[in-house]
Amino acid sequence: MAWRNLGRNRVRTALATLGIVIGVVAIASLGIAGVALQQQATSDLGGLSDEVTVTPGEDATEDEITDDQVDDIRSLAPASTVVPQKSNQTTLTARNGDEQRVQVTGITNANALYNLTTGRAPERLQSGALVSNSTARTLGLELGDPIEYDGRLYRIEGVIASTEGFGGGGNELVLPPSALSTQEHYDSVTILIDEGRTASGVTGDLEVWFNEGDEEVVSVQNFADVEEQIGSFFETLNLALLGIGSISLVVASVAILNVMLMSTIERRGEIGVLRAVGIRRGEVLRMILTEALFLGVLGGVVGAALSVAVGLVLFHLLTDDPLLVLQWRSAQYVVYGFGFAVLASGLSGLYPAWKAANNRPVEALRG
Amino acid sequence: MTVIELADVVKRYRTGAEEITALDGVDFRAERGELVTIIGPSGSGKSTLLNMIGLLDTPTAGHIRLDGREVTDFSEDDLTEERRSGIGFVFQEFHLLPMLTATENVELPSMWDTGVDRRDRAVDLLERVGLGDRLDHRPAELSGGQSQRVAIARSLINEPEILLADEPTGNLDQDTGATILDELTRLKEAEEIAIVAVTHDEQLVDYADRVVRLVDGVLQ
Repeated sequence: MAWRNLGRNRVRTALATLGIVIGVVAIASLGIAGVALQQQATSDLGGLSDEVTVTPGEDATEDEITDDQVDDIRSLAPASTVVPQKSNQTTLTARNGDEQRVQVTGITNANALYNLTTGRAPERLQSGALVSNSTARTLGLELGDPIEYDGRLYRIEGVIASTEGFGGGGNELVLPPSALSTQEHYDSVTILIDEGRTASGVTGDLEVWFNEGDEEVVSVQNFADVEEQIGSFFETLNLALLGIGSISLVVASVAILNVMLMSTIERRGEIGVLRAVGIRRGEVLRMILTEALFLGVLGGVVGAALSVAVGLVLFHLLTDDPLLVLQWRSAQYVVYGFGFAVLASGLSGLYPAWKAANNRPVEALRG
Repeated sequence: MTVIELADVVKRYRTGAEEITALDGVDFRAERGELVTIIGPSGSGKSTLLNMIGLLDTPTAGHIRLDGREVTDFSEDDLTEERRSGIGFVFQEFHLLPMLTATENVELPSMWDTGVDRRDRAVDLLERVGLGDRLDHRPAELSGGQSQRVAIARSLINEPEILLADEPTGNLDQDTGATILDELTRLKEAEEIAIVAVTHDEQLVDYADRVVRLVDGVLQ
């Protein structure tokens, strides 16, 4: 009965349903978009979440990390790989005159930090050099070519692959620490956290050991914290977006309320007949309520389908894996959108249904 | 056997600041198998009286008994139950639901009954009123006379004791009206029901077993 009643004025039914569709798509898409954006942001960072970087702090006596401090770090994180580095910048010149500015890093255990496309990264870099992919291409360098730095020559032992994440893919030259002889100590220490510890745990230990009171002797940075901050930012963003999406669904509910009210007022005579022939008030109420719920379900289903489509596109654009949209993290918004639609329509239908059921047959039939 | 009895029924209601007395101490009864016609000028209270008999409204004073049972102070829900099982209605405007077929319209009063299927009875009733070939037609495809016959069939679906007709021939031409009245007469005997009709149409006077005149809320 409810279904046929809705079919009597198809245009009106379609428009009311459209409102719900838009509402559902708004909620679900905004929720999914939030998840997709977060996914993209954290996947870029993903590789760095098990690294901790230590640099000289504001209150350090010298602007360097000393050998003693490196030893302390090693004992605080015995199973982790500790990679002290010296940093500088220079300009390299190719045979044909091309120049490129590069970051110079003096490091011993090169294999810990760098993935190579050609050559082998040595555990102890003593007399060779590594260059990044981009630098090699720009300057036309190959394995075995010599590089001059600070008056000495080093042979290229490997080419570094471009990486994602912060600071990757830049132009780098990697040399033994002895090459940067003007510096006695290190500019930074990178700690690759072993599986038994967390970045936050090691960070905490380092802070306690080095930075007594308010003094910042060393500055410890770990990207896991950054990732967490980004995560909570996105959660807030998500909530805000969902709030906005919900408003549109509320508007759609108001439209349904309007449609149902108009429909029941138009049908006063008919509903009066139903009551006169003995249809109970509860039965009339259920009939009208069912009509409203149908609108919600219909709109919800169409909206959900459209939202999944939008989600596929969003994930494809942002993360290259469109099927990720089907994970609960993002799929839940489609479910919420649908549920909200049905709930909202049901609530909107309550008042018109109650009114219709309680119309006195005598008055309804009079008109 | 008395199906319905009104004893000293008074109905007053307010419109705006005025109080109107629609019925002023009416005694009425109807027996099984009889067609009673209520005639009276506009404003005489005919519709109000019909509403009382049909349990669509409650009296300000007086008593109503359906099948010997006191229903005067019944709640709206209880009155609904009585109407569902005991009273059939035929209206001037037919009041069929446009999106249902003839058969479905006849089944309407029983549609919400779970576990009950009155389709066979609906078809039977439609055949008896001569509409066996129109079972799946919608009201838009039926003539006035045919629609009224569907309405009559509908009024009988729950095997009522009394059928109330408010200007049943009002929207029909003379000949069609006569057909309808023939129908009602046959049914009152076959189903052993009381029929109470309110009308201006003089034809109904001829068909009636008893005529009752209502003037200014009082029966003559």
